[in-house]
Amino acid sequence: MEAPMKIKTQSLCFYYRGKQVLHDINLQLPANQITAITGPSGSGKSTFLMTLNRLWEEIDGCSISGNVTMALDGQLKNIHDPSIPVRELRRKVGMVFQQPNPLPMSIYKNAAFPLRLAHINDKSRIKESVESVLKQVCLWDEVKDRLDDDGRLLSGGQQQRLCLARALVLNPEVLLLDEPTSSLDPEASAAIEELLLSLKSQCTLIMVSHYQDQIKRIADLHVKVLNGRFHIE
Amino acid sequence: MRKLFEDCITILSWFAGLLLITALLFLVAYLVYRGGSSLNVSLIFGETAALDALLLKRQVFDGIFPAIAGTLLLIIGSMFIAIPVGIAGGIYMAEYCSGAIKSLFNLLFDILAGVPSIIIGLAGLLLTIFLNRHFQGQIATCLLVSCLSLALLVLPYLIRTTQTALETVDPVIRKTAPVLGASRLQNITLVLLPNAISDIISGIMLATGRCAEDTAVIMLTGAVATAGVPHSIFGQYEALPFYIYYISSQYNGPDELAQGFGAAIILLILCTGLLISALWIQRRLTTMLLYR
Repeated sequence: MEAPMKIKTQSLCFYYRGKQVLHDINLQLPANQITAITGPSGSGKSTFLMTLNRLWEEIDGCSISGNVTMALDGQLKNIHDPSIPVRELRRKVGMVFQQPNPLPMSIYKNAAFPLRLAHINDKSRIKESVESVLKQVCLWDEVKDRLDDDGRLLSGGQQQRLCLARALVLNPEVLLLDEPTSSLDPEASAAIEELLLSLKSQCTLIMVSHYQDQIKRIADLHVKVLNGRFHIE
Repeated sequence: MRKLFEDCITILSWFAGLLLITALLFLVAYLVYRGGSSLNVSLIFGETAALDALLLKRQVFDGIFPAIAGTLLLIIGSMFIAIPVGIAGGIYMAEYCSGAIKSLFNLLFDILAGVPSIIIGLAGLLLTIFLNRHFQGQIATCLLVSCLSLALLVLPYLIRTTQTALETVDPVIRKTAPVLGASRLQNITLVLLPNAISDIISGIMLATGRCAEDTAVIMLTGAVATAGVPHSIFGQYEALPFYIYYISSQYNGPDELAQGFGAAIILLILCTGLLISALWIQRRLTTMLLYR
């Protein structure tokens, strides 16, 4: 059975300081699957991810044309539509970077940070969410006795799992991953891969990756980028 | 050959560092040698009982207590004005301003930072004259005008240090919160400022030192040789740097000169005390903002 469509781009182009980075991208990405994006450095992979959560708007000199449609809350929406506030969008479309980036605060506060940003103040609810999301990323047993430690004191793999937990705490529908394992050792990478597979049931994953074997192991769809043009394998 | 060159650089750096420390030690030693004998309670409070002077029950005439109080009031007043404006200006420059306006403002603040303090003092004096005419002679040179002028003097430092501190926050940290759904203001207050606060406080420390030691500005805007502790912000006041300047130019006999050196030691101690408390605040505030 064909999976329902989650993200659709129509003639999406992206420009940075007048230079075209993405050329006329027409893609349909299936829901609850892992889509892997590969390509040489500078080909526009990370840029493509930035068009999906409008992160490009934070960078001076960027502009886009074309459409990105996403099925959010069960409805198809143009994510650049002014009726969708960018903050709401980013709560539905989480993102994890290559370099683990815990904020300089405690493990607990790192995981609870998006809730705080969303003005959720119910302490018991926060505690519940943090605990369940830390269990989901298999970090709970390792950190439950030191939730007040600085998040930056964890190992690289643990930090990345903490960042995943932080991205998941608001139950996003889409998760963007920019080379999530490339700064980790093989064991930590394997743990993250397993985790990503388990997340398929609750969200759609778009992952930029450099590793062919990783893509073979976990990706359902493989998109190749060359000079800002996308080809489905 | 290359090794020799590197060794030379190392030795030269050591020598430069040593020179600086020697100069500092020499300065402090000389101050203590000349002013040490005058360092006692009567240097500060004169003939007045210390407790009475501190509670402002009796005025001190022959001690430097009013000058110490004046300098502290000056620092508090000018920082009270300069810190909020400076930090807000820095946030605007780093986070909201862009393009040609940013370049223009950068240039203007750099020019303002380069204005000699005597010119700022003159500006303060002009302001006083203007106010004096406007309010039928009710306002003369006073503590408030001095604080305003000193605030203007240190404002460019504060704006630039805040701006630089915010702009140099790690780009990875900078985009962390927006990706998680933070508004621009949330990113500034919850992530960027706490990460930059340590550098901002370093800037405030420098600015405080500048307020404590500046003589040119206050000379023109309200500091006088004898005024006692000011009763309001519209009163004239005494200040340590002005006292030192005054004594050194018109002392009568070696005792008074020694008092001048004593006042210089007190000013150094005051500045060191402020520096140490600022370092303490720096550490506490960083912890508080990030881990609250």
